[in-house]
Amino acid sequence: MSQSAVASVSHHEVLMEPSPYSMDKKKLGMWVFIVSDACTFAAFLFAYGYMRVGAPVWGTPFGFSSIANGMIMTAVLLSSSLSMLAAVRASQVGEKASSNKWLAVTMLLGTIFAGLHLREWYKLIAEGWRLFYNPTGGAAQFGAAFFTVTGLHLTHVVTGVIALAFVARGYKQGCYDESHVETAGLYWHFVDLVWMFVFPLMYLMNAH
Amino acid sequence: MSSNRELTMSSYVAIGGGLMVIVGIEVILTYQHLPTRTLLFSLLCLACLEAYVAIMYLMHVKYERPVLFWTIFPATLFVLVFLCYIWPDAFRMFNMRLLQ
Amino acid sequence: MAATIAHAAVHHAAPQGFIRKYLFSVDHKVIGIQYLTLSLIAVFVGMALSWVMRIHLAWPDAHIPLLGWLSPNGAPNGLMTPEYYLSLMTMHGTIMAFFVLTAAPMAGFGNFMLPIQVGAADMAFPRLNMSSFWVTLVGFILACATFVIPDGPPLSGWTAYAPLSAVGPVAGPGQGWGQNLWGLSIVCFCIASLLGALNFIVTTLDLRTKGMKLSRLPLSTWGWFIDAWVSLLAFAVLLPTCLLLVLDRLGGTSFFIPSGLVINDQLQPHAGGSPLLFQHLFWFFGHPEVYIIILPAFGIVSHVMPTFIRKPLVGGWKVMTFAEVAVGMLSFVVWGHHMFVSGMSPFMAMVFSVPTLLITIPSVIAVLVWVFSLYHSNIRFDTPLLFSLGFVSLFISGGIGGFFLAQPSTDSYLHATSFVVGHFHFTMGLSAIFATFAGFYYWYPKMFGRVMNEKLGKVHFWLSFVLVYCVFMTMHLTGFAGAVRRYSALVDDFMVQLIPANKFMTVAALLLGATQFIFLFNVIWSRFKGQKASDNPWGATTLEWDTTSPPPFDNFGGRQITVYHGPMEYDGDASVMQTSPAASVAGT
Repeated sequence: MSQSAVASVSHHEVLMEPSPYSMDKKKLGMWVFIVSDACTFAAFLFAYGYMRVGAPVWGTPFGFSSIANGMIMTAVLLSSSLSMLAAVRASQVGEKASSNKWLAVTMLLGTIFAGLHLREWYKLIAEGWRLFYNPTGGAAQFGAAFFTVTGLHLTHVVTGVIALAFVARGYKQGCYDESHVETAGLYWHFVDLVWMFVFPLMYLMNAH
Repeated sequence: MSSNRELTMSSYVAIGGGLMVIVGIEVILTYQHLPTRTLLFSLLCLACLEAYVAIMYLMHVKYERPVLFWTIFPATLFVLVFLCYIWPDAFRMFNMRLLQ
Repeated sequence: MAATIAHAAVHHAAPQGFIRKYLFSVDHKVIGIQYLTLSLIAVFVGMALSWVMRIHLAWPDAHIPLLGWLSPNGAPNGLMTPEYYLSLMTMHGTIMAFFVLTAAPMAGFGNFMLPIQVGAADMAFPRLNMSSFWVTLVGFILACATFVIPDGPPLSGWTAYAPLSAVGPVAGPGQGWGQNLWGLSIVCFCIASLLGALNFIVTTLDLRTKGMKLSRLPLSTWGWFIDAWVSLLAFAVLLPTCLLLVLDRLGGTSFFIPSGLVINDQLQPHAGGSPLLFQHLFWFFGHPEVYIIILPAFGIVSHVMPTFIRKPLVGGWKVMTFAEVAVGMLSFVVWGHHMFVSGMSPFMAMVFSVPTLLITIPSVIAVLVWVFSLYHSNIRFDTPLLFSLGFVSLFISGGIGGFFLAQPSTDSYLHATSFVVGHFHFTMGLSAIFATFAGFYYWYPKMFGRVMNEKLGKVHFWLSFVLVYCVFMTMHLTGFAGAVRRYSALVDDFMVQLIPANKFMTVAALLLGATQFIFLFNVIWSRFKGQKASDNPWGATTLEWDTTSPPPFDNFGGRQITVYHGPMEYDGDASVMQTSPAASVAGT
């Protein structure tokens, strides 16, 4: 380490205490973020539950076509988690091209999920559903709860797809490494995890 | 640091398949005309099972150091459990409504 | 001993140019100073609001200069309307609680000191840190913007209870765009705090230098670390609460607005929401929030005291840290004590009351640690220690009032009186501010390379200490007598007799405000004319004192920092720096 280098650029190796989690700081940061995001989703779901418990007539407006659509969406998201896993596994052994291919598959599946979701939304809105209006005559808050919770999840999916695009590009260009792919994978699995609660609570509990 | 390579990809696909089976069970239960409370409880249990599998395997926590599990889970569970303090007021609200 | 060899290649290029160095800087030190500057501006804004409120309480017919200019609707000719009083009260609470008390001790000092105290070159995510500050600043600008819009600031209190806050402009002045901007401001603050908490947690866990085991962390770092966890979980719930409120206002939803609500003879078109849900969700955040405010103060005082009593705290790091963790955890299960008279289930009132009383136990443990540590110590009554002792006194005084408020029976009478206002100003406002002052006087030499004027510091302390008691202890008494809080004028017969007490409080409050200008002068003057500071002017032991004042851009000039000792190795004048390979002092 030359003296002149110290003046304007500090470039050296320092000894540190090992991380108690034995993981890269990005990954730990993503886990901490996941904890907070889980609490945020939980608060939305609790608000939904609170309103539903207190409502005299909630209504169960979803027919089988909505449930079938939801099952397909679940399958798509779950597949995207598996493709994300494949991408992470490939990056772990340095297979960049393979990893990027699986990242692209994940992004595609995520986009399909979002597309199916938006198509369902448009169908509901066309039937008269709003944040404040229930065309079936049940609780007016149904729309509020449904669009809020699923909207938040959809936002996370779309953000995730965009983030994956950046990660894929950076990984390809060499400024990101496998730890970035793994961190993004963690976020993507979390999005799937949330859906595992949203689907039963928002769809199945409202099926007739 | 190896990650997600403790199991083969086919094992992960099998796990994914298992999760879809749980989803299928959830859907079947939905159409069994169960009382709302029973359905809710069953769905939540199944969802928690799915979540556990996803966290342990897909999110790799099973193969991380135990301290990760014991940091993340208790913190999140803590918030979820104590948010449940709001339920008594939700049930009271149902019984105290003026308009029906 | 587990292998301590983890190494990181560190690349740090010193930033060039004014914008990268002082404005859009990723350097945690600059960001910390930016937060402190923001808080300093915010505290004078918040204080000015309180002066105007207090003048109105004492002299309701007074025409207050400048107020009429600020808001011709709210204060025509400077005569404050009751609605405008509520608006001022709302913004006083919001600005003080968020942009001063949550920002300064945690984001301000924490950002500056935590990486240095753990031996790192910067926070774990420097660019995220920078965005946290700028998002906070946007939040502050949005909050201040409520004063300049035509309708004025919201009047629903910093607690923004529904349905008042949720129905929109029909509820009163400021409930249109004022409340919307307020909501957006808080959403910004939530996001910034969440990202900040994330940074603090990862930095403390992953970026400690060689030898800095968790048992050797300074107590201020423990305070910030535990606080970051509480912040993470609490702000994660405030964010949806505010978003749902905004949805009720702008999206037509009815999360918090009940059916059949008639305001100003207009039936509101909402159906079936619950105002109680808002209170539950808000206070789920709101109670941990007050501990988010006080935990860094605990940490700062626990860090400052050993330096000036020249001995470690009783019980070492474990007892204080245990108390802080217990306080942090219990803070999540007590929120219903804000809702005893709200119509909440009476059974839940008991469920909340018991842990509220229990939380006094770790608080008292912490207080006893500070008090007992003074025994047999070699006290140097420098300004940082004076403010630390002042903090302990204020915290005890405020805490005692908490016993009355913790029980639904007594709280039924005291709720919404100025007793509560006195209580939270002591425990939350003044204590945290005194701890922040302690931190300021203590760390100013390190941050700016100059020592603050000690004489002015002592004057600042004694005047502030006496005057805060004058204002806020009197407030407890008027509260006992039944003075209702958030009332802009005391006209009921049982309150008219409290007007002399209110006049006394107002005069004391204005003097207290004037005293803070001594501090402001000291801060600015010392920056340019203060005596130059050495690396370690206080003879302290922690890592920030093992580098220059102010530290270089990468904190330690590229040196390998190795820690051999805990943070409180003092024995009278003797002390051992954490980085010194020498043996420990006796008794530690």
